[in-house]
Amino acid sequence: MSAMHTANRGTGRGAGSRRSQAAKRANRTGWAFMAPFGLLFALVFILPILWAVYSSFFRQVTVGGGAYGGGELVDKFVGLQNFRYVVTSQAFWAGTGRVLLYTLIQVPVMIVAALVLAMLLDSFIVKRVTGFRLGYFLPYAIPGVVASIIWVFLYNGQISPIVKGLSALGVNVDFFADNIVIASMANITTWTFTGYNMLIFLAALQAIPHDLYEAARIDGASGLQIAWHIKLPNVRAAALLAMLLSIVGTIQLFNEPQVMAISDPSISKSYTPMMMALNTSQGTLTPGGDGPASAIAIVMALIAGVLAAVYALVERKVNDR
Amino acid sequence: MMSFNKRLLAAMAAVSALSMGLAGCGSSPNDASEGSSDGVVTITYMHRLPDSEGMTLVDDIVAKWNKEHPDIQIKATKFDGKAAEMIKKLETDVKSGEAPDLAQVGYAELPEVFTKGMLQDVSEYAEQYKDHYASGPYGLVQVDGKAYGLPQDTGPLVYFYNKAEFAKLGITEVPKTASEFIDAAGKAAAAGKYIMSYQSDEAGNMLSGLAGASGGWYRVKGDSWVVDTETDGSAAVADFYQQLLDAKAVTTNPRWDPSFDASIKDGKLIGTVAAAWEAPLFMTSSGGTGSGEWQVAQLGDWFGNAGKTGPDGGSAVAVLKNSKHPKEAMEFLDWFNTQVPDLVSQGLVPAAVTEDAETPTEWAEFFGDQDIMKEFKDANNNMGGFTYMPGFSAVVATMNETAAKASDGSGKVADVFSEAQKTSVDTLRNLGLSVAD
Amino acid sequence: MSRTDESRAAARARRKADRIRESHADDLPRSLQPSMAVRVVTVAALTIVLIYFLFPIYWAIIASTKTPSQMTSGNGMWFSVGLADLPGAVAANYAKLLGWTRGQFWRWVLNSLLYSGISALIGTLVAVMAGYATAKFDFRGRNAAIAVIMGCMLMPAALLTIPQYSIFHAMHLTNTMLSIIIPCCVSPFGFFLGRVYAQTSVPDELIEAAHIDGAGEARIFFTIVLRILAPAMVTIFLFLFVATWNNFLLPLMMISSDSLKPVTLGLYGMVSLATFTDRGALMMGALLGVLPVIILFLGLQRYWQAGLAAGAVKG
Repeated sequence: MSAMHTANRGTGRGAGSRRSQAAKRANRTGWAFMAPFGLLFALVFILPILWAVYSSFFRQVTVGGGAYGGGELVDKFVGLQNFRYVVTSQAFWAGTGRVLLYTLIQVPVMIVAALVLAMLLDSFIVKRVTGFRLGYFLPYAIPGVVASIIWVFLYNGQISPIVKGLSALGVNVDFFADNIVIASMANITTWTFTGYNMLIFLAALQAIPHDLYEAARIDGASGLQIAWHIKLPNVRAAALLAMLLSIVGTIQLFNEPQVMAISDPSISKSYTPMMMALNTSQGTLTPGGDGPASAIAIVMALIAGVLAAVYALVERKVNDR
Repeated sequence: MMSFNKRLLAAMAAVSALSMGLAGCGSSPNDASEGSSDGVVTITYMHRLPDSEGMTLVDDIVAKWNKEHPDIQIKATKFDGKAAEMIKKLETDVKSGEAPDLAQVGYAELPEVFTKGMLQDVSEYAEQYKDHYASGPYGLVQVDGKAYGLPQDTGPLVYFYNKAEFAKLGITEVPKTASEFIDAAGKAAAAGKYIMSYQSDEAGNMLSGLAGASGGWYRVKGDSWVVDTETDGSAAVADFYQQLLDAKAVTTNPRWDPSFDASIKDGKLIGTVAAAWEAPLFMTSSGGTGSGEWQVAQLGDWFGNAGKTGPDGGSAVAVLKNSKHPKEAMEFLDWFNTQVPDLVSQGLVPAAVTEDAETPTEWAEFFGDQDIMKEFKDANNNMGGFTYMPGFSAVVATMNETAAKASDGSGKVADVFSEAQKTSVDTLRNLGLSVAD
Repeated sequence: MSRTDESRAAARARRKADRIRESHADDLPRSLQPSMAVRVVTVAALTIVLIYFLFPIYWAIIASTKTPSQMTSGNGMWFSVGLADLPGAVAANYAKLLGWTRGQFWRWVLNSLLYSGISALIGTLVAVMAGYATAKFDFRGRNAAIAVIMGCMLMPAALLTIPQYSIFHAMHLTNTMLSIIIPCCVSPFGFFLGRVYAQTSVPDELIEAAHIDGAGEARIFFTIVLRILAPAMVTIFLFLFVATWNNFLLPLMMISSDSLKPVTLGLYGMVSLATFTDRGALMMGALLGVLPVIILFLGLQRYWQAGLAAGAVKG
């Protein structure tokens, strides 16, 4: 169907030449429509990827000797040294581990929460849902940085009514404590994106033909049974996609730790690989400069690629069963 | 459907027309001075001075100059954000030729900025202004004997304390030695008061300064660096804070967290080491708590420093590489950096010696009618020399992180200095500079 | 079934569901009639969740009226001043906000609107064009193009920010509006949505018929296809708009001039200043800064929900 311009038009006399002419035309038109996106894509994705690969073989060093160098940094070809630095860097793997742990906990919690909320709103238990729907979704309109700023204040012992209220009840929580801070971060992400995912699921649920429900009801199915046997399978595709995109999103975790680091000095410059890349390029980590920063980005992209591939494989396996 | 489409298209068209028009005038480069045809030289100057309420704003100071010097017009811009972010920005701006003529650069960052090739040798102009500044800070704007700008302010470390609260605890004067201090701190802590703060987010600048009071970390020998961040002074600093931490006789709130402000406001924190430039910020943090009772004192002999102090912060203004008018830039800079009362209002302890800095009345009120500018000046004259190495910002970052571990007990203060050693050597080597073993 | 039919069907289904919910709930079969207890528990649970989502916003509103010292002392849940003094408190913090931002605050909001609006507009158009191209034309290299773009959809785009910065720097484009707009108008996910929509809702017969009428490809696309894809485009537009609005790392790297900052970067600059203390004024900035997006969302709610429905089913 998608290729109908080439397939369906070559009938009758001189079919062969017509077909090739049609193919040529499809070729031209296709590329013409593709071109604007393609050019921008090349500039924003392809070129930077190639540049990152190229620059990852260089380091920025002084020349000219002396204790301070000659007052100029030059690019020096260092082969695979930047990659060796990244894969042997404890800080890098600690950051990667942190991000993976974060992904492992935050993404399923968020997706399940979004699913449950969507199911509840789609059930007939509650009559008026518009208020809930909008309220849940509202945080999505708040940029991650701003959301992080607000939550950092809500975690702060001097400012937050939550911390103060809990401590009045005799519960003293420190949202910045070493083993809790990552959960505090995950909470910000969950707060921002649950409503968005819920809306996608809700949309998928509401697109389910109502005949299905009526048929099920006649068969005497309960609300829970309908939810489990009809609704869940129908939002599955949406849920799997949302899950994949969320995983990709959390791998590049940056905003939350960057903002939280202002209040919590123990969040290091290499807390996540993304922070490590930025601080490397700014020279607050050593070796600094664009070369090592590119190497970090490349290794991280490879890890993300492997993860996405694994997820896709597992998903297919599960689907086949 | 139709009406929706029409509305949508109309809205999109409106948005795009508006935005295209505005996008055209979007870019506002801080182009390095281009002398225009009528002989007027424009100098651009980027700073990160506080510029907040109640201060003489940089723009107002600059306006004074611009009025008197129609031929040399200054455009000042303020940078919001961290020092490292400003350097990164300047670095790329220098490469693309869009950097300002003048930029604020901390003494700790100056060698790094030089190494990155961002500075212009202005020795020939600097010489004539030399007598306007204290020799210590003047020397910090030099690399290898060449001048790259002029010093603006200094950050000697001093001790702020609440005299009335001290008296209530029966501490009649600021302790002189480490053991006296730790005793006093323990006594205060028993009463729920703290006479010292341990600020992990300022560790890199403050602890290096405290250790530096008794001797620097970095020396140049021949063409190589000799690095020793684990000096006797460092050990004394580590020991001092470790004892206080172990005795829970010190606050651990990061300096720039609201919890630090709160600790002063609710009267818990009644004494701390601070950089001189912190005075007005400290007053804001306190929210007026203890106004009139606070005092400034010189550091005691707490770190094997024999009464000396060390540097924390302090900045120069440097002439950047692509400035086309270094002479005019330096002329303005010398004028600006000698506007002592205006700079004082910004919370600076000016490096200029052209006139004595007077303590603003508000500050005097807060600090019990004390002439604190005089105290700062004394501290300044009593400051140990500290040479910074290129790439020191990476050392600061490591020190802050390590220091944070010591505040919750998962690390030791001594680790701050051993990590500093490792990072210092790595940073120098990674920059291609030689390090003596 | 065409896309429009489908989204209409979805809208119909939703309306029907709402109708059933709101007026006929009591008529449901016994087996589906939720007991009072279930209903009360569910509403209570949903309300608690609602409080979780709205509380930070409520708190930010309260905080935006406070001075730094009121912020740490007193009741965080309610205004520190009497209702009569509230306008004064708001005005004071608003003045402080403008002071801290050197009068640039609304400029930053406008910048955010421009960055998001322009890149979403361009991005939507090029994504739909490319999606249509790959859905309807069998051009050479099509499968390779799809594979590369979809591969990049799974790539953490933020990692590209640093090399993007270097490339834009070499082109002397850093610290210009284009340095935000160009990267933000390319979205592999937008392409993916455009392709799905074009595949499922543009009938081949319609294009064929237009060809027979002698219409050129460009005319077909701009007069017929775009119209069919309009609801889908709203979805892509909003997705790109929000993505740009929320982007922080890119402007952090690219933009250094005060006058070019988006509101996210401007507010971050405020907090990251060590000397910053006016947190109430900051909260006011945060709230005023997100207002345009909220208005946009509420205003276009009807349209993008339809598009979302279609995307969710096909996605």
